[in-house]
Amino acid sequence: MSVIELKNLTKQYGKSRGIRNVNLNVEEGEIFGFIGPNGAGKSTTIRTLLGLIRPTGGSAAVFGKSCIEHPEVRKEVGYLPSEVFYYDGMRVTDLLKYSASFYKKDCTKRIAELAERMDLDLNKKIADLSFGNRKKVGIVQGLLHEPKLIILDEPTSGLDPLMQQKFFELIAEENRKGATVFFSSHILSEVQKMCGRVAFIKEGKIIKLEKMSDLQANSYKRISLEAESAVPEEVFRIDGVSDLHTKGNTVSFMFRGNLNTVLRKIASVSLRNISITEPDLEEIFLHYYTKEG
Amino acid sequence: MNIFFRELKANRKSLVIWSVCMALGVLSGMSKYTAYSGDNANNGVLNELPRAFRALLGMGDFDVTKMSGFFAFLFLYLELAAAAHAVLLGSGILAKEERGKTAEFLAVKPVSRSAIITSKLCAALVNLLVLDAVILISSIAMVAAYNKGPEINGEIVLFVLSLFLVQLIFVSMGTLFAAALKKPKLTGPAAAGVMVGSFVVSEITNLTDRLDALKVLSPFQYFSYSGIVRGDGLDPLAVSLSLALAAFLLWLTYFCYRRRDLNV
Repeated sequence: MSVIELKNLTKQYGKSRGIRNVNLNVEEGEIFGFIGPNGAGKSTTIRTLLGLIRPTGGSAAVFGKSCIEHPEVRKEVGYLPSEVFYYDGMRVTDLLKYSASFYKKDCTKRIAELAERMDLDLNKKIADLSFGNRKKVGIVQGLLHEPKLIILDEPTSGLDPLMQQKFFELIAEENRKGATVFFSSHILSEVQKMCGRVAFIKEGKIIKLEKMSDLQANSYKRISLEAESAVPEEVFRIDGVSDLHTKGNTVSFMFRGNLNTVLRKIASVSLRNISITEPDLEEIFLHYYTKEG
Repeated sequence: MNIFFRELKANRKSLVIWSVCMALGVLSGMSKYTAYSGDNANNGVLNELPRAFRALLGMGDFDVTKMSGFFAFLFLYLELAAAAHAVLLGSGILAKEERGKTAEFLAVKPVSRSAIITSKLCAALVNLLVLDAVILISSIAMVAAYNKGPEINGEIVLFVLSLFLVQLIFVSMGTLFAAALKKPKLTGPAAAGVMVGSFVVSEITNLTDRLDALKVLSPFQYFSYSGIVRGDGLDPLAVSLSLALAAFLLWLTYFCYRRRDLNV
């Protein structure tokens, strides 16, 4: 059984916004990245999954059950929303106790521990907190009941780099203890560090779902070469080549596929210089967004 | 239970303010009784005012020179204030999660939307009961302080009972607005607007007998205060219809809130 299962999940509001036929399975114990630019439908997907909004088509399940029909499955879910809002009049400690009261277990120790690690003052009023500190409350609030599924929506916005570091350590720790993590972000480098698999979403549709290792190591190469003389563009018009730029003697492109075919092509050119590098996710990502979208 | 206690705490301050204002309202209202009753010369004048004018003032058919009539006259204004409290309480207690964007906190907890509504309604009910107790106690005390005629404690209890039923209608109307309207900022003004509208309808039906059919639109008309003053008690039909109306509005609240998209 998958921890998260989205089948043809569709949510339409208005004309253009929403998501269309999103299919995803997140398996137990993995850290799953959900990548897309702002407005692509990441938050909509999460909110539909959690039952905050109802799908117009398809289904969404957590631990095999719909959050709308079985709200109790949410007891194993910890959620950190992208924008954190709480009851302004409350103190941090009251809010966290209120949050803990929904889970029928004693979270006092855990709250103290998380607050210390995140350097959060429990006695302050929520209304007096800065955006970053509010986010910390959100992190503690999302983790205090040791959920089996952690859903993070743009978790690092507002956190300083040091806190981001601590936050990632915390998430990695939870993951080692067995928690599944669903990590939505538009910042690729942070997803790259943590996730095992990643789905790309654009304009409400999943455009690619891949293992991080496939994405990075095996398939994509960024190849730049400089030849002795001008290279006709047609030479590298082969399957697997994209983002092809030729300018005089220099050629650069992305390649995915059998390396031997491209190496034979390269060998046919008289070279002055060559570099073959791993593209970072950012490059792969931009590539999807410009070419396949 | 946690939501229930949270709501009690969140509404505590506003309940204290409302209670103080209600008690002060009873106090200042009753302190004017001496001007209407007793040896002053204007009692005859008041009873000879044109009927429409008396209706506009809220005196209707009451003999305001007597304590029971005066209290009925005063109670109309208490009722209006209590109805405003109820309708704002109902809409606010539900809409505030979306207004303050805390819906994304509360609605992802392992509780159903129905359980959220039920807890909040129970907290609202406690608020109404406390406010009614304040009205009841301060009324009995202040009436006793000014009353020179027969005691009217029995009538006061009936007045407050009828008020409670009217509050039930308005609090559930408030929650329904919060559950049905998509824009959480509109729910308070919209619910209060309907409440004031129904009061205006009530005033209009007081002015003339020809529009009595409109009375059904205004919960302010469901219970006849002159009936209570006459000693007729509460009309069982009005009691059951009020309860049925409140139950229907609540059912609609659950129905709408369970299936709608929360504003987050």
